Amino acid sequence: MSKPKVAFFDFTCCEGCQIELTNFGDTNFLELLNHIDIVEFREAMTETSDHIDIAFIEGSFSREEDRKRLEKIRERAGVVIAYGACAVTGGINALKNDRPDYKQCVYGKDAEMPHLDSQIARPISDAIKVDFEVSGCPMDKYEFLDIVSHLLHGKTPVVPNYPVCVECKRNEQICRFDEGDYCLGMIAKAGCGAKCPADGIPCEACRGFIDSPNEAALKKVLMERGNMSEKWAEKKTKMFTANLRSDAKTLGV
Amino acid sequence: MNPYFITANDFDAFVTKMSKDKKVIGPKAKKQKFVFGEIKSADHLRLDYDVTILPPKKVFTPTCQTLVTFDGDKFEGNVDNDGVILFGVHFYDIRGIDITDLLFRENNRDVNYLAKREASTIVGSNIQNVSKRSFWGSIGTSDSGPKGHDAFLTKMDGGYVLECLTQKGEDLVKFGNWSKASAAQVSEAEKINKDVMDKCSQKLSHSSSEIAEKVRNSFDNQELWSNLAEDCFSCGSCNTVCPTCYCFDVQDKWNLNQVSGMRNRYWDSCLTEDFAKVSLGAGSEENFRETRGERFRHRIMRKATYLNEKLGTPACVGCGRCSAACTADIADPVNVINKIMEV
Repeated sequence: MSKPKVAFFDFTCCEGCQIELTNFGDTNFLELLNHIDIVEFREAMTETSDHIDIAFIEGSFSREEDRKRLEKIRERAGVVIAYGACAVTGGINALKNDRPDYKQCVYGKDAEMPHLDSQIARPISDAIKVDFEVSGCPMDKYEFLDIVSHLLHGKTPVVPNYPVCVECKRNEQICRFDEGDYCLGMIAKAGCGAKCPADGIPCEACRGFIDSPNEAALKKVLMERGNMSEKWAEKKTKMFTANLRSDAKTLGV
Repeated sequence: MNPYFITANDFDAFVTKMSKDKKVIGPKAKKQKFVFGEIKSADHLRLDYDVTILPPKKVFTPTCQTLVTFDGDKFEGNVDNDGVILFGVHFYDIRGIDITDLLFRENNRDVNYLAKREASTIVGSNIQNVSKRSFWGSIGTSDSGPKGHDAFLTKMDGGYVLECLTQKGEDLVKFGNWSKASAAQVSEAEKINKDVMDKCSQKLSHSSSEIAEKVRNSFDNQELWSNLAEDCFSCGSCNTVCPTCYCFDVQDKWNLNQVSGMRNRYWDSCLTEDFAKVSLGAGSEENFRETRGERFRHRIMRKATYLNEKLGTPACVGCGRCSAACTADIADPVNVINKIMEV
């Protein structure tokens, strides 16, 4: 079997997921190259390819002119994988989606300069069909490897649709709420190994929501056990999951 | 088999000597809570624990367990035969192990659980501190006491009584300065273990058989179940901390070289949304417990009625771990069952 042609693309993001990829280290990354051919990777090479077997896309879709570029990638690629929170859900970029004055907030007097123009931040899947997703901010390199391995072996990757609480309990962690803290682990998609609670910080749901998040119960628990005001409890999931909330439609997502 | 006594002064030396010779797993502190972990010296051991975060079944069926490793066309079963001394287990957790013993033994013997289980020694201990959410005092019947342990340790003024029930239990005596216990010490131990049964602050209001019947008859009361589950996150915490839950999921992992890898099993949870999702082929699927209420009902049915005939007891031992683990605080079997009994 010839090695699949793999390409990496980035849109609105910090490129931290590419950094996470390099965190595999020389030996492991070179081992991975025995199984894939990287044909396009802006950070590392100038070559391109007409055909791509697997396209990895990082970053959110936040400018209408990016739609064409995304469609061209889709035309060339057999499989499209959105990787990282920005590509999968719009990520932290979507924080701006309910702030019409975001340009003034960020750029001040330069706000109207044309190259700074952008629209609301949306997942890649709002522009083109996405076949698989690697969630997280940054994405988890082992999950990335797991998904690539499944595809190399012709299998469908299995990504958890259960919440972070499952992994946190398996790790036998003390619940953040029992420490007088808050946590979003109950509605956040697992797969990360519940690293943040293990480090003593709350889950912020960077991997997105499980399929049916109980938003009403979350607000109640954040107020009753997380000691949050109603306003704060209501807004808490805007950090990584603004586009997944039940009120996201009102933003035009 | 004999009862033995050791003085409080000699007890630490016993634990330290035993843990030098064998792998000992016992209750340890984790901040303000407790977990079962390896005991390397007596000062690790916290027999004054109230309850551990996860039940001790994790020793025999780890949260993630490798069943098979493979390398190209070669593969090898991965059975862990290394026995341990599981030390300081409260009676309700021994009952939990009795239940998983039976369930992993029936039909296909689950060698990945049983090999380690059968090579291990279990030493119970009396409950010195009662956890807030426990209700083991009001569950089961008088003949549903713990059975699968090899010895049982009771702390009393001046020392400990060790009641040995099997040869494996008797074999531990050589690690310490144990002497034959007097009849008075043995009856003192019995009294301590009997008296603690009234100490739970929570109680089920009815007998296990009355509960089993009423819960089963409430199956079709959809309003009841959807109200009970209104704040459920489907997070599966109640399953994950339960000493009698035994469902698992199996997944393959390839190593970076794409040639070798492993087949792992993980604890699964019937409260999570995808648990009951099955493939209908051609990309379509069916979820036979689609709503929160259906999943919540399933757990209560499994714990209070479905398995009772097979086990001779409910599949709940009253440890209260689910009550404490539920962030929305809706999983507490005492609240749920007492409410069902009133409907």
